[in-house]
Amino acid sequence: MFRLLISLSFLAGATLPALSATGERVQITGEVIDTWCYYSGVMGGPDAVTGTAHHTCALWCAAGGIPVGMLTEDGKVYMVLKWEGHDQVGDGKTLLSVQSHKLVADGIHYERDGIDYILVENIVSDEGITLRNHEDYGFVPPFAEPGQ
Amino acid sequence: MKKIAFTLAACCVATLAHAQDEGPYSANSQANEWGLFGEEKARFEARVTDALCALTGDCPDDCGAGERPMVVIRKDDDRMLLVNKSGAPNFTGANHRLAEFCGQDVEVDGLLVGEPEFTPGIGAKVYQVQLIRAAGSDDWVKTDAFVPQWQEKYPDADGEGPWFRRDPNVKAAIEKDGYFGLGPDVDKKWLEENAQ
Repeated sequence: MFRLLISLSFLAGATLPALSATGERVQITGEVIDTWCYYSGVMGGPDAVTGTAHHTCALWCAAGGIPVGMLTEDGKVYMVLKWEGHDQVGDGKTLLSVQSHKLVADGIHYERDGIDYILVENIVSDEGITLRNHEDYGFVPPFAEPGQ
Repeated sequence: MKKIAFTLAACCVATLAHAQDEGPYSANSQANEWGLFGEEKARFEARVTDALCALTGDCPDDCGAGERPMVVIRKDDDRMLLVNKSGAPNFTGANHRLAEFCGQDVEVDGLLVGEPEFTPGIGAKVYQVQLIRAAGSDDWVKTDAFVPQWQEKYPDADGEGPWFRRDPNVKAAIEKDGYFGLGPDVDKKWLEENAQ
């Protein structure tokens, strides 16, 4: 019987991806961000690629299927893999309505190889956009300004 | 003044980020340099899947058909790298191209990106995939598959300018909440106060 179980587990391992991470329930507070500009510095430092200043660019990137994240106050970025049960978060529209919003989200957290991921199950609260940094940075990038 | 501030910030960032890191997978890479935070060329063999599949075992055969965030799991060390960007400079990810290789062994070439010194709190670099080919193939494929599928999805999104200025979902969001996301009145006020 034991040999049979071992054999079955090997067979399962050959056909399914290894479950190398374990999820845990979390509730996080953070801003919904575009992770490419945040990680890469392509548009400037981290303070310039969040909030109102970067809102239009964040819409573009989310529409383009670039992973969306939640940035918590301690600087941790959670890559969003599900949003209120919807698993195709890269469809270019699901996350546009919450870009740059400060939210409290309840979900399942995974970590693998230094990257944090969240499967958001429920939005506990949504304060809307609270970081009004366009007063400091204007439009980031400048060609996001209408008419440019 | 604000544009000057942004330009200065961008210049400082560019200076800080300009140096290219050499990493264990940089040899033989053909990836283009972008001058990004912690940029490191990386070419390696990997298995393609989507992130949800790798973490939870929820694995559609098509990896979500380009609508799920994708990962590559490096053959050498089983390290999972989140693919954050395509090689195209047009605000697009690489999910559609990678989904074509769902479940396959491949070789990828691109940039590892991210530097905690500049962006405190990040735990690891993400991956910008510029080129991909199936294991054993001689032919590299660029990762700029987004715009053709977008055109197929939104055939009526015609007009001038790049896709992101014509995308119906982006246009609807801006029409509702403005360019800063605070409503059209806030945009109008800022534009009036900052008119050249």
